[in-house]
Amino acid sequence: MLSRIAQSLFWIGRYLERADDTARILDVQMQVLIEDPGMDERISCEQLLSVMGVEDYTGIPNRWLILDLLAHNADSPVSIAAAIGAARESARRARETLSTDIWAAINTTWRGLSTAQAMRPPDMFTWVRNRTAMISGIADSTMTRDEGWQFYMLGRSIERVDMTARLLSTAALASGPQVAWPTTLRACGAYESFIRAYRGIEADRQAAEFLLLDRWFPRSIVSSLAQAEKALTKLESSGQRSGFSDEAQRLLGRARTELEYRPLADIVFDLPVEMERLQRSCAAASDAVSARYFAESEAYTWRGGVLL
Amino acid sequence: MQLRIRHTTGYHYEKGAMASFNEARMTPMTTSEQYVLRSRLEISPTPWSYEYRDYWGTTVTSFEVHDPHQDLTVVATSIVDTQGTPPEPHGVAWDALETVQDEWCEFLAMSSWVAPAPELLTELAPLRESAATPGDYATTVMQFLHDRIAYVPGSTEVTTTAADAWRAQTGVCQDFAHLTLGALRDARIPARYVSGYLHPSREPEIGETVAGESHAWIEWWDGEWIGWDPTNAITPGPRHVVVAKGRDYADSPPLRGIFSTSGGSELFVGVEITRLR
Amino acid sequence: MDTSELFDGYGPVAGFDEMFAGTDVRDNYGTIHESFHKMGADEIRLRADSLASSYLEQGVTFGVAGEERPFPLDIVPRLIESADWHHVERGVRQRVLALERFLADAYGPGELFADGVVPRETVMTSPHYHRVVAGLEPPNGVRIHVAGVDLIRDGDGDFRVLEDNVRVPSGVSYVMTNRRALSAALPEVFADHRIRPVSQYSQALLAALRKAAPAGVSDPTVVVLTPGVYNSAYFEHTLLARTMGVELVEGRDLVCRSGRVMMRTTNGLEPVHVIYRRIDDEFLDPVQFRADSALGVPGIINAARAGHVTIANAVGNGVADDKLLYTYLPDLIRYYLSEEPILRNVDTWRMGEADQREEVLDRLDELVLKPVDGSGGKGIVIGPAATTDELDELRGKILEDPRAWIAQPVISLSTVPTLVEDGIRPRHVDLRPFAVHDGDDVWVLPGGLTRVALPEGELIVNSSRGGGSKDTWVLADASEPEDLGDLAPNATAVAGVNQSAGPAFDGESRGMQVQEQEQQQGRDVPC
Repeated sequence: MLSRIAQSLFWIGRYLERADDTARILDVQMQVLIEDPGMDERISCEQLLSVMGVEDYTGIPNRWLILDLLAHNADSPVSIAAAIGAARESARRARETLSTDIWAAINTTWRGLSTAQAMRPPDMFTWVRNRTAMISGIADSTMTRDEGWQFYMLGRSIERVDMTARLLSTAALASGPQVAWPTTLRACGAYESFIRAYRGIEADRQAAEFLLLDRWFPRSIVSSLAQAEKALTKLESSGQRSGFSDEAQRLLGRARTELEYRPLADIVFDLPVEMERLQRSCAAASDAVSARYFAESEAYTWRGGVLL
Repeated sequence: MQLRIRHTTGYHYEKGAMASFNEARMTPMTTSEQYVLRSRLEISPTPWSYEYRDYWGTTVTSFEVHDPHQDLTVVATSIVDTQGTPPEPHGVAWDALETVQDEWCEFLAMSSWVAPAPELLTELAPLRESAATPGDYATTVMQFLHDRIAYVPGSTEVTTTAADAWRAQTGVCQDFAHLTLGALRDARIPARYVSGYLHPSREPEIGETVAGESHAWIEWWDGEWIGWDPTNAITPGPRHVVVAKGRDYADSPPLRGIFSTSGGSELFVGVEITRLR
Repeated sequence: MDTSELFDGYGPVAGFDEMFAGTDVRDNYGTIHESFHKMGADEIRLRADSLASSYLEQGVTFGVAGEERPFPLDIVPRLIESADWHHVERGVRQRVLALERFLADAYGPGELFADGVVPRETVMTSPHYHRVVAGLEPPNGVRIHVAGVDLIRDGDGDFRVLEDNVRVPSGVSYVMTNRRALSAALPEVFADHRIRPVSQYSQALLAALRKAAPAGVSDPTVVVLTPGVYNSAYFEHTLLARTMGVELVEGRDLVCRSGRVMMRTTNGLEPVHVIYRRIDDEFLDPVQFRADSALGVPGIINAARAGHVTIANAVGNGVADDKLLYTYLPDLIRYYLSEEPILRNVDTWRMGEADQREEVLDRLDELVLKPVDGSGGKGIVIGPAATTDELDELRGKILEDPRAWIAQPVISLSTVPTLVEDGIRPRHVDLRPFAVHDGDDVWVLPGGLTRVALPEGELIVNSSRGGGSKDTWVLADASEPEDLGDLAPNATAVAGVNQSAGPAFDGESRGMQVQEQEQQQGRDVPC
């Protein structure tokens, strides 16, 4: 498969997941702001921006600013609008390898963005979640399970780990956990399965445990890491007798085992710091994938030539 | 006369080059007046290379370098037997040129390299009026240009056109050739650009290696192709070695290509000529 | 509302209208006219709207100045009778073969110059004559793998050639997408006709490209080389790559190593044997042409020269579709094929020739002047529509560089009914059939791209000047039983296996029962 196409698919996976997860994170934040009377809007929004990695901004952080920066403003690289735009641009570059259906789904999403932006925020977030779910569904039922699929899944899984880590930080930082955790679980679509798994015992620790470590819940960090590792194993054509020669695989595997084999209390004790570490591992793994599979797509600029 | 020519050229890259694609036109032609006994091209770093004859009949060595390198060096060494009986002008009439206009249309076209400056055209008009034959015109014009333009080494660049050189009233062999081509073609006389080497001394010593240069001269149509070296105002003889013939300089640059580098680059050239026999 | 409203104010048409002869509907269009009549204006508009939105969703667009625009597809199809098509097909094949012979000669021995068929100067001074490929023999002798010949129908309804395109002719993707969209929009009209299919184009192209592979390569890797997303025909590049099942590459995906072209993949470099390139010659190889081109692949020309890769269409073909060479095409057909031209040219005067120029300069206001190197309608001056100042400026330009111009009479292009704001109105059309040459035969896709000038009276049919397109239906000949056309598949009785119903469906009155169960669940469930 062409390096450039592999790169596009990897990033389509990442951008769509990013749009989806950003919508989920914003949904939680907006609900918390409304439902939790003890919340300081400014501090909470500041924290969210910092969790999302936004450092340069002007204005007082409030719900309108975060809606602008994280949802509507296409010039802000972390916004939903930017992520959908970037996904569409990547899809355009890889259009010949995408099925017509998936291209049409991505293109329609991109074209519907301006209408969606006119909706009430919760409706827009639902729209984003529905659209991305639809695209994943179409991808799942129309993409052949070749290398391209593995790169798409890899991108999606790495992004999901990264964003779920940010979501957990947001929840941990919220002052009123009795509001934040259930909302977070709902945002992940995990509320019901959580209640079933923990038989109604609702506690911060368990919620964190569920979203971090549950092997059966597809949005948990551990199962997303496992998914990414699986994609990398499929891409690694030669079987490995011992260890892992692939840098990305090593990074992700280590991150997963650290979560799984360390006492939960250790992790939950300072969740935002742990989550930041996880995000760093994701970034490093993403770089390693680029270096190994996409590096060849870097082109030279030529000089000299005919003096005509 | 037997001459050995060693032509060294290449680039030095300030910050090194990642890759490079080039074409070298440094192998002399075998013609009725010269015979190439041996010819070799050494390139460093060692590239993949491929040789072919281009549209004009010039031997081209095309090569690729894919490893990072600081310098690119091409050394062409040839041994050529030359003989000294150039064809004489036939003195064909102006009418006779009409019949070859289409056949030699490429050597009549005014490229931006050879197109005469407007001021030069006004001076050429009376010369054309008074010339009885194309041969007369050619002789007059070639002498006229040789008298008017000063040969000043380094006075022009490789990209200088005939019109630029006329304005500057100075030039090197390439400019003399382009100016003469423009003046001849303006009178519808087919004329072509010849590039190669010239042994600098009139009576070359056998066995003595001297510094030479790439050289350029012309050929014009007078029933057959007649050579003329406008820089030295002489008929090319055994001291001239032909590498390529074309419409102008652009058809046969010794080394051209592209490279990938983040810094500056410097071209170097050196020619050594030895008379062997 | 009825159709009389749609067709109200349609005629009379000054030139040749393909549906109406005077006020009578021509026989071949009878069924279509009747179907539209039955559907009525509202229904037609509704279907046209859904056609437009389905096109937008699929992303069928073309780029104008970097902006993506939908390429409007008109709802009224254009019909071509099988006898007419047969004529077009033979004529296109003849032109392609003559142009192939011309290119081989012009880049080889040059016998046509020696025999005085075409002045050497016509070819040698063309900016598209690329000496760098002189003597470069393509593996199976084919240089024109794909050709698009632009045709018009004149006042008598005769097909005439407007120009040949043998460099990178584009538009075939619209032929394929138009067919799919229109058959969905007008299924009943479609079913009333026996229409020859167009979907086999990609396979024909792939087969021709594979046959053009360098000697000794039994299973060649074919790629489509695109300038990238911002190219106006990018949609077409993706469609062709996808339907041929080959990689769509950009210049930066390819690299030359030791005279071979390789593609950068996730498994390292892999060899490429045939490149269907959609990049202009000048941008293809920065070593030979524009060094500043970032779209091309350095060294690709010499890889082709070394015989390790085939570039399709061949480099340097531009010399054959030059508007000046066009004027010599009838002579070339006679010279190389010893045949009379099947399709006639449009009468053309060469401005490079003094007597013809004199004649034209006297009546500039009656003629159409075209720059030899122009494409896409650029630089064309239509005499009757030009102001005195424009004509004076034109005169100056012609005198300055006469070789750069040709003149043609104003031809009234044929018209076909087209749905516009006011209803269905006559609009001017042209036709670009596509031909694929595989070395043994020239195959002409039955259909081709009909472009329609949407503004009223507009004579330049071009997508960048407010043009749209039409689905072109070539009718199957009853005597060609093997070519059944895009008919709706015959409803052969197939014994289907019943779907397993699952536990939710039990018994015969499934729907009812489910509802009942739900209602029961709604009540108090007895313990």
